Amino acid sequence: MDEKVPRSNIIETEIPMGTVHPAALEPYRVRFFVEDEIVQEAEITIGVNHRGIERIMEGLPVQKANSLTEKICGICSNSHIWNSCRTAEMGLGIEIPDRALYIRVIMGELERLHSHFLYLAHGCEVLSHETFSMRVFYLREIVMELLAMIGGNRVQYGCSVLGGVRPRCELDEAKLLRLKNDMDKIEEGLTDFAARFTADSMVMSRITGIGVLPQKQAIELAVTGPSLRATGVARDLRTTMFEYEDFDFNVITQPDGDVKSNLLMRALESFESINIIRQAISNIPEGKLVNHDWEMVDTDITESYIEVPRGTLYHSYALESGRVRHCIIRTPSMANIGAMQYACIGDQLTDAQLCIVQCDPCFTCTDRAIEVIRR
Amino acid sequence: MFSNTLINSVLAVVLTVIVCFIISTLLPGIERKYIHARIQQRIGPLVIAPGIMAPLKFMFKENVKVESPVPGLYKILPILCFIVVLCILVALTPQAYAIPALASLVAIVGFLKVEEICYVLMGALSKSVMSLRMPFPDLAKGGAHLNAQRSFIEDISAKRSLRMITYGSFPLYLALFAPVTAARSIFLQDIVLYQQAHGPFLFTVAGGIAAIVFFIGYMIILNEYPFSIIKAKSDVIEGPYMEYASKYRAIVYLTRGFFMFVLGCVFSVLFIGIPPNIFSLGILVNIAVALIFVFMMGIFSAFSPVFTNRQLLPTILGATLLGILAVVIGLL
Repeated sequence: MDEKVPRSNIIETEIPMGTVHPAALEPYRVRFFVEDEIVQEAEITIGVNHRGIERIMEGLPVQKANSLTEKICGICSNSHIWNSCRTAEMGLGIEIPDRALYIRVIMGELERLHSHFLYLAHGCEVLSHETFSMRVFYLREIVMELLAMIGGNRVQYGCSVLGGVRPRCELDEAKLLRLKNDMDKIEEGLTDFAARFTADSMVMSRITGIGVLPQKQAIELAVTGPSLRATGVARDLRTTMFEYEDFDFNVITQPDGDVKSNLLMRALESFESINIIRQAISNIPEGKLVNHDWEMVDTDITESYIEVPRGTLYHSYALESGRVRHCIIRTPSMANIGAMQYACIGDQLTDAQLCIVQCDPCFTCTDRAIEVIRR
Repeated sequence: MFSNTLINSVLAVVLTVIVCFIISTLLPGIERKYIHARIQQRIGPLVIAPGIMAPLKFMFKENVKVESPVPGLYKILPILCFIVVLCILVALTPQAYAIPALASLVAIVGFLKVEEICYVLMGALSKSVMSLRMPFPDLAKGGAHLNAQRSFIEDISAKRSLRMITYGSFPLYLALFAPVTAARSIFLQDIVLYQQAHGPFLFTVAGGIAAIVFFIGYMIILNEYPFSIIKAKSDVIEGPYMEYASKYRAIVYLTRGFFMFVLGCVFSVLFIGIPPNIFSLGILVNIAVALIFVFMMGIFSAFSPVFTNRQLLPTILGATLLGILAVVIGLL
């Protein structure tokens, strides 16, 4: 696909939106430079919700720092604590019991389901299709209840701890049975939703060919996660993560890089997550949940990358006397901001927020870095 | 004798307006509680919440300073809209037929146009904090276009309202004039009398087509999904209404419900031949028609995304062609 070229260089006016706008769930400011309601250029500014979590983590005992990472994001809280524990475990060479790895995968995939459902619901809301939005939220509710069942909480589960998972997250037979039954319910509901969604010609006319991000630009902009895969690039870090070695799943891709591809991408990935969870339920090994057999030593900076619902999540820090040093966290939305800006070009102003939303922004957790563009 | 008749007529009009207004306050609640909420499988608000409780609540809220270059005019506009809707209802009552200049389609169209122009003015005069600019050039990200002229999002609403006046309301006006082709008169009295003699225009081929077109026009003029580009949440948010607070917002809410009812009455008069009159059982038909329209609009909007210009133009073009067809069939 060719590079998108703005229709003209004439900037008739600038429409600033945000930092508070009902179509944007999070605080960011976007300036649209438009000509006759067609976006010629877009500029996203973040930074109004900087909390300095890495700075707070500096000097904290690693266990406390791990718990703190969960507060970075309300949607992928489990991913942060998982990756933070993983960083320390890699640095300290801790072996994780197989049962704990399976529970981490189940939690990770449940989180992916609820994140993708939130994405679909929010996408429908930005399309102003409240009925579809509500129906997806009902599906998401099942996942949220499952997360609460395992972690004891709907948002912050505190599942991963150094060496495994918290004993509270043990999955007994009753919990596994409920998980299994609810996966059937979710699959049925999602199939029904996807069929209705794709059969709705009005919705299809709103999302087909809108917010196109060509594959070449996606790679150049270092886009990550489902937004990259929606352009046809089969890159999913789960294929290289040791936690997923036992699982058989497909890396979903879509060809067009538009809003439709992105929405379908999440729906199809959700089916794969259901598939992974079913495999985990069937094959979960017996054994202990936490490995306490390790010693705290000083480590160099250790880096850990995992695939979270929005893309690649990066955590790195060193350990000194059991305390965290030189902590850096990079969330996937940081890499996707360029894609959001690019996707808006050439589309109607009414579609602009949709073009941003299609990249699944999570700016509150991205607010930890300053990007400087030199012109 | 004359004075008695006049007093009776005025009394009838006043009572009709009061009853219609009271019923109209329930319509937004019915739409949200019994249609949107049922379709979306949620409880929804109380029936009286959107149309009665919300305006009452806003009536007693403290007003805020309106961010507008002409705040006086901006604040008058919702009151003007309400008066316009009131005038349309008065024009529809049989007592008004004694004033042909008022009880004619030209007057109705004129009132509707005023109502539409109010949206343009509201959009142009609202300068909300939602698009407030920085008091200095924005260099935060390298500032691609530092000297670009900046607009408020309500300005977009004003431009879209203007577009809707030029082509968006074609379907409604074509549908309004379709009964004229049968009655061969623009006066409401003649249209009603024609239908009392020949049966409702709705049950003719031209009437059936025009009714569909009227419904599309009804949704467009009420800015309901999927035609709500003037106040689309995805970009312009509340658009022209952004700066209204307190009693002005209450009037906006009341006007919307009232307008829904009055447009139902317009349909009753033009397509069924039954004007709103408190002393006639025909008012039940007016209420039923208003409810049917609300139900249909609720169902349609619950299953539609908001249209952009890409979808809106073909839809309006199609509806306009249908309207022309109805007029042509009516003339044959």
